[in-house]
Amino acid sequence: MIAKVHHEAVSPARHFSGFKKMSLALIALPRPVAQSTKRVAATCCCFSTTQAFCEIRNLARMRIVDNSAIGKAAAEIGKPPRVINVYNKKNVGYLGDKVLVTVKGEMRRAYIVGLRQKQKPNVPRMDTNNIVLVDDNGNPLGNRIHVPVPSCLKGKGGDLTKILSLATKFV
Amino acid sequence: MASKAAVTAPLRPLCNFMFSNTNVTVTLAPSSVCFQQKRYRRFPKYVVRPTTRKPWHVRKWTEKKDEYLDASNEQFIKEVIIDKYAKVAPSPLKDGPWERNPYLRETRRTGVLALKLGSLLHWKKDGTPFYVTVLQVLDNHVINYVPPELYATYPSHRPHQGLRFGMQVVGSLSCDPRQFSKPYNNLFMKAGVPPKRWLTRFLVTPDAAVQPGTALDVNHFKVGDYVDTQGRTRDYGFQGVIKRWGMKGMPKSHGTTKSERKMGATGGGGDKDGIWKGKHMPGMMGNYLRTMYGLKICRINTRYNLLYLAGVGVPGLPHTFIRVSDTVLPRRQRNEEQMAEVAMPTWFPEDAEESLPEEMFADDVFQFTEPSLQLEAEES
Amino acid sequence: MATSIAKVCQSVKNLTRRSDLLYQQACCLCASFSSSSHLSHPKKLQHVINYQRTRAEVARALRRKQNFLHYEQVDKHRKSPLQSGTELVQEEKEDVAPREYRYVMPEFLPNPDFQYRDRVLEKMERRDMLRRRAVIDIPEFYVGSIMAVTVSDPYSPGKTNRFVGICIDRGGQGLQAYFVLRNVVDGLGVEVLYQLYNPTVQGIQVLKLEKRLDDQLYYLRNAPLEHSTFSFDMQPVTLPRDAPVPVNTTKVKLNPKPWEYRWERFNLKGIEPIELTPKMERGIKEHAKPWEDYDLMLKYRQTVNEDEERSIMTEVFKENSHIESQRKSSRTVLRKKK
Repeated sequence: MIAKVHHEAVSPARHFSGFKKMSLALIALPRPVAQSTKRVAATCCCFSTTQAFCEIRNLARMRIVDNSAIGKAAAEIGKPPRVINVYNKKNVGYLGDKVLVTVKGEMRRAYIVGLRQKQKPNVPRMDTNNIVLVDDNGNPLGNRIHVPVPSCLKGKGGDLTKILSLATKFV
Repeated sequence: MASKAAVTAPLRPLCNFMFSNTNVTVTLAPSSVCFQQKRYRRFPKYVVRPTTRKPWHVRKWTEKKDEYLDASNEQFIKEVIIDKYAKVAPSPLKDGPWERNPYLRETRRTGVLALKLGSLLHWKKDGTPFYVTVLQVLDNHVINYVPPELYATYPSHRPHQGLRFGMQVVGSLSCDPRQFSKPYNNLFMKAGVPPKRWLTRFLVTPDAAVQPGTALDVNHFKVGDYVDTQGRTRDYGFQGVIKRWGMKGMPKSHGTTKSERKMGATGGGGDKDGIWKGKHMPGMMGNYLRTMYGLKICRINTRYNLLYLAGVGVPGLPHTFIRVSDTVLPRRQRNEEQMAEVAMPTWFPEDAEESLPEEMFADDVFQFTEPSLQLEAEES
Repeated sequence: MATSIAKVCQSVKNLTRRSDLLYQQACCLCASFSSSSHLSHPKKLQHVINYQRTRAEVARALRRKQNFLHYEQVDKHRKSPLQSGTELVQEEKEDVAPREYRYVMPEFLPNPDFQYRDRVLEKMERRDMLRRRAVIDIPEFYVGSIMAVTVSDPYSPGKTNRFVGICIDRGGQGLQAYFVLRNVVDGLGVEVLYQLYNPTVQGIQVLKLEKRLDDQLYYLRNAPLEHSTFSFDMQPVTLPRDAPVPVNTTKVKLNPKPWEYRWERFNLKGIEPIELTPKMERGIKEHAKPWEDYDLMLKYRQTVNEDEERSIMTEVFKENSHIESQRKSSRTVLRKKK
């Protein structure tokens, strides 16, 4: 059932190190864990931050999940790409949105194929923010995606179909 | 005698008012006379809350109690109340039923008074989730009908309505009559129903007038109809400027003290000085009358008299009274087929040929007895 | 009225002071007599509305009332003999559900906030849930169980999508009940939230029924990936009948910081002890709420009343066992047909 795919050794710890500064932002403390009392959906969030929502805004760090050369090189030097523009009106990127990223000093366009943010029912939530690089014509730079991709992206159409043809596994 | 008539008649044509210390009766002219047309802003920026009750309202509650009643007498009185109101023939209508007219484009029917119960999650047949608000039509009766000619003399009549509408008074939730004042109880004499906790009125066209004493039911509406719901929003009481108007407050430090939740300036200078009318300030928040237009009835439960309306935003906390009536939105009106099936002027139990199903669903709503959503696999 | 009479009396008295004593006494008697008779007179003749109500009375009449009814008041109206047609749901008290049944079906317990409670609405919601349970088999599961869920997916070639993972959270009340599955696919952690009563869910299967030490396992996000890696081809593990649900007491060692949350503050039992830095200790001390263990009102507000819980669970148990017996009988019929 699962296609065994060669995947790059991207250790999560290394990836998370990129989040070091931002993840120290105060996050709402969930309720204490108690087995005996019934849990009430009461959150004690005093204020919200972008980090708590895990929104893709400008300067958000991403992870390139295709096997393009530039993506590999960026992963080797340990510098994750940053979003410098989101191509929609809200300037917040969601699944399937097109973004402009800087990779190794170059500007590249990319599509978001996985989010760390909370998702709707039946839509998978990934541990990392994944993007796939494309060139200016919308053709992907790599020829394989080595992580699972949400299958709800198939309904979006457009340039995403070219990217989804590279995917090996859908969740 | 004039004063007595003034108090006992709840909605009288002339606005009488007796000043007690001078014993002078002042008679005000009805509003339809000497009407000077004025134009106001349609949505006023500020609301003046009435702090006095309207002169035509009767006093509702009383706190007079008979202290000499012992337990057996108390029981006896309760039995009398039940005998008088609950054990009469099923229909308390004194004279024969009124004539029933067909539903026309310009007909406006009466509405019902419902209790908001809360909201639930539902799904459509294609799996799309949506929320429904559940209303219960509890113990509704028509209390009074005022024909257009008489209603035109009422102070609440608006001249632009002309003689189009009569007034239908509807009440809900029967109560023990002893807790109400005498003039309030007298309102229900004509209808022959126990006094109600809540009264409201609907403007109806004369062809849709309902006889006083008729019980209103959830079957007044059909699945797929669009309704307007009106009620009072949640009462927050006296609130500050941050909660009421969403202002920003001031910084906690950097030279400011004790003004974290205060508003800033109240006005400009020069020509624009002073505090303008409608300036956003602290005050009473909530308890406003608000209307949600064009909600679709997606499910009806006839046993418990439940209306399931698609969408949230029906005003108020659960157990708020909501006025539910046919929508006034022009794009949500009934088509020819639906117009033929409307219960006019309302639904009567003898209308049903066979017993009604307990639950009725709109076409696109997922019923929980159905199997799960199965999609056919593509052949390729 | 009364004030004007009193004024008249006062003026009469003032007059009499000037005249001689005898006349004064007579007049006083007369005045007092006449005033008392005048006072009682209008009461008998006609019903006078007291416009000079006391300030307290007026205040009471104009006092802002809540624009909603208390739910007990509504229930009283539903039971009232003065009306018919909108009866209240009956409460059943004969059978008794097993004591731990509320942990088996926690989503049947209503919202404990009384402002949002309504008996009829809860009953209708429960009925819908049980109808859905009669259609698809929703087995008993807990946080920590390994489950497989099949949902209909319009985009996949087979139109279904199956996902296997460990249940890391469970919550929601009524029809909004949900659970979260987590697994590692191709080296990437994936979590999916499923709604229990969503019609797109075609089947829920428990591959391994067990509990964990904590109510939520979100800390698996910051733990080594092998703790949340499960094969999609996993075969279901059957438990012996009537055996208690086993508790998995594995302790997870967390990755070094950064973490998603400050796990040291959560009093977690399923993780290995963390080496606390002074800053962490300070944080724990600042955010600890030791008084909440003794706050009876807090517990009262956060839980449903015990009697009510029992009656709800009894009803659910009865209905659910009925559904299961029907399902078993239909299965045997199918087998015989084969």
